[in-house]
Amino acid sequence: MHHVVLERWSRGASPLHRRDPRSKFAALLVFLVVLATAHRALPLLAAAFLLLLAATLLWARVPLAGALRRAALVLPFTLLAGAVCWLGGDPARALSVVLKSYLSALAVLTVVSTTPLPLLLRGLELVGAPRFLLMVAQFLYRYLFVISEEAQHMRSAAASRGFARRSGGFRAAAGALAVLFARSYARAAEIHRAMLARAFPGRFHTLGALRFRAADAAFLALAALAPALIRAAIERLA
Amino acid sequence: MHIYDGFLSTPVWAAMDVAAVPAVGYMVRRAQREFDESRIPLLGVMGAFVFAAQMINFPVGIGTSGHLVGGALLACTLGPAAAGVVLCAIIAIQALVFQDGGILALGPNLINMAILGVLAGYLPYYLWGRTPWRKAAIFLGGALSVMVSAILALAELLVSGVPMSRSVVGVSLALFLVSALLEGAITLAVVQALEAIQPGFVRRPAAGRSFARGALGLAAVVLAAVGFLFASTAPDGIESLGHTTGMDHVRRLFTTPLAGYQLALSGEPWLRKTAAGLAGIAIVYGACLLIGRGVARRGRA
Repeated sequence: MHHVVLERWSRGASPLHRRDPRSKFAALLVFLVVLATAHRALPLLAAAFLLLLAATLLWARVPLAGALRRAALVLPFTLLAGAVCWLGGDPARALSVVLKSYLSALAVLTVVSTTPLPLLLRGLELVGAPRFLLMVAQFLYRYLFVISEEAQHMRSAAASRGFARRSGGFRAAAGALAVLFARSYARAAEIHRAMLARAFPGRFHTLGALRFRAADAAFLALAALAPALIRAAIERLA
Repeated sequence: MHIYDGFLSTPVWAAMDVAAVPAVGYMVRRAQREFDESRIPLLGVMGAFVFAAQMINFPVGIGTSGHLVGGALLACTLGPAAAGVVLCAIIAIQALVFQDGGILALGPNLINMAILGVLAGYLPYYLWGRTPWRKAAIFLGGALSVMVSAILALAELLVSGVPMSRSVVGVSLALFLVSALLEGAITLAVVQALEAIQPGFVRRPAAGRSFARGALGLAAVVLAAVGFLFASTAPDGIESLGHTTGMDHVRRLFTTPLAGYQLALSGEPWLRKTAAGLAGIAIVYGACLLIGRGVARRGRA
């Protein structure tokens, strides 16, 4: 599955991987806002931003082609939206929708592929996002692939019995989903008991506290200034 | 139904991001009260279940199939606040890990699907879950949850100035309606199958009805209806709304085309857009205040 790739990328050891997740997330937000509010000379700006992101990805030693391909996951939807805009008589907006959504996805990918998700969520928690929600998200991510595999097993079991194509397929699928629900519920109870047995204190402990160092501040300043300056320069030129 | 970065205009995503913060905060606090921290694994695993449920196809007719979206099912089994939190977590993971939905568009997505979608999905069950109409209520809840979030997303795109012709809007509304009916049928079928396995899974709606929760659900439906109005008559509808209410600036507010942004810093359009954003926030705050008061009243009683 896709996640394996992202997990492997995010465990790298480049200078970008070592930056504090808070600084990376803040830089990401600045980039996204600069991009979202830009309206002049968009194709030129998009090309410059693409180069910027590509350079960042190369610096982080993330496979560039793979990242570009993964960010293209948004394209089916955005191309459709672009087509709607085009047919609606607004080709400029069609272009902007496609360019902006692709670049935004690539920027998010740059951050996520250089930061392990638990660390990223921990950073968000330190910034003030509700811990309850982030812990739910963390458990979700942890068990996503476990439960998905269970669903896959059920699906192949049903298919091997020739069930999918029969007329009672709808009720059979509902039954399968109910069983999956019950199993997930039971699994959650087991997880909880196991956690209690290990004296879970109600929060995750991380090895090593996150520290916002001078290098992180410098990175943030640079990463926040770069897109803003590029945009200002291009808008002046254009 | 996910909205990506780059689709919405700046005032729309900014206002909805700001509005999402207190709404999500309220939902989380409420879920935390019902489910103490020891139940966090349950919510996480149920989120994983919703992800995995997309793999099980429900055959519909010849060659087509649909899958569960899950908002209404979670609301019937875990309660609306917990369902909202689970959906928030799902949407956040989708945006971060699966490039499904934008980061700046996180606020709109959360409001459409995790907050108003879940509330609209829970409303029929909450109102009629103890009456003989229970089955119909579950079906309606599933359908409403999808319809409300889809219409809200469509309305946000229209308000952002995405040019959609009447036929495009009509076709997408028809598609939404089909998937909404499918979601209703799937939700009902799964709830019935769950009850056959173990009746305790599906919650009975609380006996003491709080007015505020119902009101909030209604507000969600009304908001969607307004969105529907926009959608079905757009873009002329917005214009005529402006004329009939004598507020021509409303029209400019909602349909300011791209050209407006070049003047963004020169004062007036910017102010108008900010006002639009603030109005949106005020609506959500009002809704939150309303529930808060209802909860307090119930606590006292």
